[in-house]
Amino acid sequence: MNGGTEYFPVSRPWIDEDGAVRLIGSKCVHCGAVAFPPHLSCPVCGAQGGQDTVQLSPVGTLYTFSEIHIAPKGFTTPYAVGYVDLPEGVRLFGQIEGRAADLKLGQQVAVTLGPVRTDTSGSMVVSYKFKGLA
Amino acid sequence: MTLATIAGVGMTKFGKQADRTIEEIGREALVRAMKDAGVARSGIEEVFCGSSYGGPLIGQRILRDLGMTGIPITNVENACSSGAAALREACWAVKAGRADAIAVLGVEMLTRLGGGTLPLEPTDMEANLGNVMPAVYAMRARRYMHETGATPQHLAMIAVKAHEYGARNPNAQFQNRITVDDVMRSRMVADPLTLYMCCPTGDGAAAVIVTSEKRARELGAKPVRVEASVQQSGLYKTGFRDMASSELTERTSRLAYEAAGIGPQDVSVAEVHDAFASAELMYYEALGLCDKGEGAAMIERGDSGPGGRQPVNPSGGLACRGHPVGATGVAQIVEAVWQLRGEAGERQVPGAKVALTHCTGGGISGLDHGACAVHVLTS
Repeated sequence: MNGGTEYFPVSRPWIDEDGAVRLIGSKCVHCGAVAFPPHLSCPVCGAQGGQDTVQLSPVGTLYTFSEIHIAPKGFTTPYAVGYVDLPEGVRLFGQIEGRAADLKLGQQVAVTLGPVRTDTSGSMVVSYKFKGLA
Repeated sequence: MTLATIAGVGMTKFGKQADRTIEEIGREALVRAMKDAGVARSGIEEVFCGSSYGGPLIGQRILRDLGMTGIPITNVENACSSGAAALREACWAVKAGRADAIAVLGVEMLTRLGGGTLPLEPTDMEANLGNVMPAVYAMRARRYMHETGATPQHLAMIAVKAHEYGARNPNAQFQNRITVDDVMRSRMVADPLTLYMCCPTGDGAAAVIVTSEKRARELGAKPVRVEASVQQSGLYKTGFRDMASSELTERTSRLAYEAAGIGPQDVSVAEVHDAFASAELMYYEALGLCDKGEGAAMIERGDSGPGGRQPVNPSGGLACRGHPVGATGVAQIVEAVWQLRGEAGERQVPGAKVALTHCTGGGISGLDHGACAVHVLTS
């Protein structure tokens, strides 16, 4: 293990101000569709270009989740994952801190950053993830 | 509208066959299908070969040693729907009058990949964050159970039914009967899906000979007609999507019913893409075999099991026949043809006249699934 840190996506589409994490998405100037990670063309209206960057809400609603017990190399099992709906109309997949037994459909979760896996060179890969809010 | 006929079918036994090569099992299935159709090498004008992990020129690699070269050979990759997508190309090529006899192969050797979950594309967003196919289905299952009141016991009943049929299929990877308790106690893969609720990985090949009606008559085969061959892809949505139902399967099957001029009530037997037990429940609804939210009631009543109103996956399905990815879509057709000819042995659905096959899958961020194919066959 080389102990380094990598980021996914490498473009790091987020801002982190002392632990207050906001993801950066794109918003189509033509139809208003919001997407994450930021798109260069709009998958809804088909516009090429014209995609503004927008900060997404730091809190979303847990649509569904699971806990994975068999995973590819680099992931430490078990780990919880889920789909989180943000108020901007974006649904995100991500890992969730802690165990699935503590999660409930429809609960609020906050965006955070943390390790998601180890890559083949032994570096820790950091990305956005979620943590449950009481 | 009749597109083409299936004049012959064949398959290998499914399961782990690490001592064989993918080319070998492909040839075994093809030779069986050609023998079944009574067609010689020279009678095959084109070949379509479906495989997801078979690598470049898989069709040519299989056909070379049979000397079946010099004809158009097209390799088709569409994840779990690879074989079904290959079949669709053949059906429409025959309908267009381009050829009178086409061989369709589905072949896969997953033991070459090692064990565990199937590898997802490394550029895929969700795969990089730790999503795996069992979790994709597990998350849908949790939402489905939340919205419909279905329970993990219902998922276990699907697995028990699959094994009851698998035990009757000599080509199945799993031929043992199990109980609801066995399913619930098997190890957790992706909560709420336990091991016996997940299809296995394995190796296998299946082949069918697609012909014009005229050629089928000349061959003297007991032909089965393809009345619909439809394929669609999932819709990309960055926003909210109902994960408790399958829009893709609903859309594809609706187009297939329209093309065949039938409704779900006319289906006597269905081969459905039960990659995970929860998916079979959801597809009962998406295919219109029961009303929305009634999937659990359908398995409780035994409608989809032996002696039921509309048996589903008499082959054992992906859960027990096995799921060598690209081979599955063609193996479903093989089973449908055996059912329609009344040659399905202990698992025969009495008087089957209309068979539906449904093949879907392919994990890709933002889509329900990569692809879905539905075929309607009649005797």
